[in-house]
Amino acid sequence: MLIVALVGLPVMAAILAGLTAGDGATWDHILQNRLLPYTMTTLLVLVLSGIIMLGIAVPIAWLISQYEFPGRTVFSWAMILPLAMPGYVMAYAWADLMGVAGPLQSQIRDLTGLSARDYWFPDLFTAPGLAFVLASTLFPYVYITARAAFSMQSLTSLEAARSLGAEPLELFWRVALPVALPTILGGLCLALMEAAADYGAADFLGIQTLGVGIIRSWQSFGEPNTAARLALMLILIAGTFLVAARIFQGQRGTQQTSSRWRTPTRTPLSPFAAFGATALCAVILLICFTAPAFRLVWLAVETSARAVDLWPLVRSTLILGMIGAAMAFLAALVFSLSSKRSETLRLTTRIVAAAGYAAPGAVLGLGALFILRETGQALSGAGAIGFLIWIYVSRFTSAGVEPIQATLARLPKNLDLAAQSLGSSGLRQLIRVDLPLIAPGAFAAALILFVEILKELPATLMLRPFGWDTLAVQAHAYATDERLAQATLPSLLIVLAGLAPVLLLSWRLGHTERT
Amino acid sequence: MLKTIQSLTSLGLLIGAVAACSNPTETAATEPAADPQKVLTIYSSRHYDSAKALYAMFEEETGARLDVREAGASHLLETMRADGDQSPADVIIAADAGSLWRFKDAGLTQALDSETLNTTVPESYRASDNHWYGVARRVRGIAYDPTRWNAEDLSKWDTLALADKTGEICVRSSSNIYNLSLMGELIHRYGEEAAQDWATSIVSNMARNPQGGDTDQIRAIAAGECSIAIVNHYYWVRLGASESEADQQVAANTSFLVPEFVEGSGSHVNITGLAVTKTADDLELVEQFAEFLLTETGQSYITRDTKELPLLASTPLPDGVDQVPTFTASDTHLDVYGENQADAQRLFDLAGWN
Repeated sequence: MLIVALVGLPVMAAILAGLTAGDGATWDHILQNRLLPYTMTTLLVLVLSGIIMLGIAVPIAWLISQYEFPGRTVFSWAMILPLAMPGYVMAYAWADLMGVAGPLQSQIRDLTGLSARDYWFPDLFTAPGLAFVLASTLFPYVYITARAAFSMQSLTSLEAARSLGAEPLELFWRVALPVALPTILGGLCLALMEAAADYGAADFLGIQTLGVGIIRSWQSFGEPNTAARLALMLILIAGTFLVAARIFQGQRGTQQTSSRWRTPTRTPLSPFAAFGATALCAVILLICFTAPAFRLVWLAVETSARAVDLWPLVRSTLILGMIGAAMAFLAALVFSLSSKRSETLRLTTRIVAAAGYAAPGAVLGLGALFILRETGQALSGAGAIGFLIWIYVSRFTSAGVEPIQATLARLPKNLDLAAQSLGSSGLRQLIRVDLPLIAPGAFAAALILFVEILKELPATLMLRPFGWDTLAVQAHAYATDERLAQATLPSLLIVLAGLAPVLLLSWRLGHTERT
Repeated sequence: MLKTIQSLTSLGLLIGAVAACSNPTETAATEPAADPQKVLTIYSSRHYDSAKALYAMFEEETGARLDVREAGASHLLETMRADGDQSPADVIIAADAGSLWRFKDAGLTQALDSETLNTTVPESYRASDNHWYGVARRVRGIAYDPTRWNAEDLSKWDTLALADKTGEICVRSSSNIYNLSLMGELIHRYGEEAAQDWATSIVSNMARNPQGGDTDQIRAIAAGECSIAIVNHYYWVRLGASESEADQQVAANTSFLVPEFVEGSGSHVNITGLAVTKTADDLELVEQFAEFLLTETGQSYITRDTKELPLLASTPLPDGVDQVPTFTASDTHLDVYGENQADAQRLFDLAGWN
């Protein structure tokens, strides 16, 4: 309970400050003129990116887990790579590629001799464009959960369906998907919450989401309190997602009691179909990772970007990432395990964690500063690092809770009962039964947390002590001065630093599949 | 799995311990020194490498140590509010008079009374109560396609609102401080209603939704998507000075001018400036630092990378800045930008300027 309170405190502080401070002059203006457009745009972006993510992630997860085709092994881990790319970096890269002055459109004009106003080109600077950018970095959350769900599916139901003469597509739609859907929705919830909290990409593309409105209330109107009130709206949306997913999951019992957990053997595809599968995966990977990443490398080389000494940045990024991930992981573990005790506790912990995850980092940062002000503490020295870590925990615990709870939810309840009947309880059950069972989910959780913290920007920007600039802070500094070419080096380093844990995660997922 | 958790936890603690020991500010503090080193803490919203070189020169010259925290002006403001009386900050450096005004409005600054500064910095480039001083100038102007327009067609801000500019204008989002300050001066000159009408006309003349930064607007002209872009002078200068040939081409294919409000009114000029915090105790050192920025060396380092205009007339212009046409600054006091900032955003919102 204490940890739940600790994790929830910064968001609560921000909102409390927002609600108690009285209406700023801006609040009326926002309420009358902006709240509805902000909310509708946010919902539109979320719905579209949700559709895109499901559309990309579920089919490839199904292909990769069920069929054999050239490149399958590579794709099975490479599909997680986009996770290493922060949304705002993805937005810079794609805006550069797709923009009117970018290489694609310049080529079109050179080849056709048309001027920029004579032809139609997909406009990235729209709500669907933002949905695309966000979906292309966040779909791995859905992919990871979908693949895990498909691979670990009990053989019995699939075999039963096959023996009844089900066609492959029918098998997918009528058996595999319904069984896997609750797990997939867990991943989708996580991805959507993260998309809701985005500020960097939306701001760069000029889309008026709640995230942008929050920062605008703070920075243009000078009213952090109004910003906190708007954040409440985001948290409400996230809470709605979670409750909706919970209700949906509750309606469909998915506990698997079959003991045959082995991965189904993969069916080889016909040459034609195999080519199609390979091409599909290659195109998705090209769009969601390779093209933007190479564009960044290209920009860095083209402008011969000189780096200031980046090593201190790398060091502080890694140290903050590791401590932050370890602490957030412990919090997520406590959240998940305690939630086994009651359904109410389970939903409370998830919503507390989700409130932090769906609120932009800046709102948590403001909450943290509010706490500092109230307690009369200054932001300096080792204390400040501890404080920043606390905010990381508060912000990202949800990213750890969801994978662990997804694993827990799939476990048959009778395992608990069996353990209890064998006289195992409390700590002993935790160590001997629970932890080994959730190991795959827990491992994924730890790595996801690490990658998330590497990418974190606003809270770090506000709370880091002297000498603790991170790569994200430096990339942001260059980008705000419109020196994107110089921003590419630190951005690429973030991607590189994120790759190692992402690869480890892929390897581990593959490993679990085989055993 | 338990093992993994245990090792992760201990790893975390270990790193935490190492991190605490290797904290750069602390190691510096533990060095034995007979004469305690003077420390000047700077909160800066600028991120240029030449500024770092300048700081190093000041450290060498005075033996003082500079601690610099860089972040957005709004971030720094909230940090200072939270720090309260214990704030380590002595000096704030921020681009745009609107930002500096925010710090003053929040009661975080104090006046600096330096004879040298008062004679070096013209009255129009410092706060009326000396709470902040400008150290470099920038001007918001218009980049345009010279094959499409003559400079006379665009000589005043009003001309952008005319119907012949329909579908021709590229500009960034309204929440950007440069747009807010420009709108602040328009409100001051014409009143809220006329300023909102102006913004509404600009919106209907836009070639596309506001997006990207100033540089992107200039590139869009070169690509042919629009023929007029509202941008700060240095973004255009930097394209010309860029190492990328494509960028140089963009600058070569566009022109830049500095419009007035009405004939003879002067132009919308802004500053990068410095404010002294309320908590600064070594005012002598602060003064020394401010005066250092306004020496010729200081001025040339401040403007070298940014391509801003030096405040000292005697300082040579940075490479490429001579391409910017000469202009007279308007007599609107820069305090106005900050005072009108929230109204500017509200009117932009109402005008539909995203």
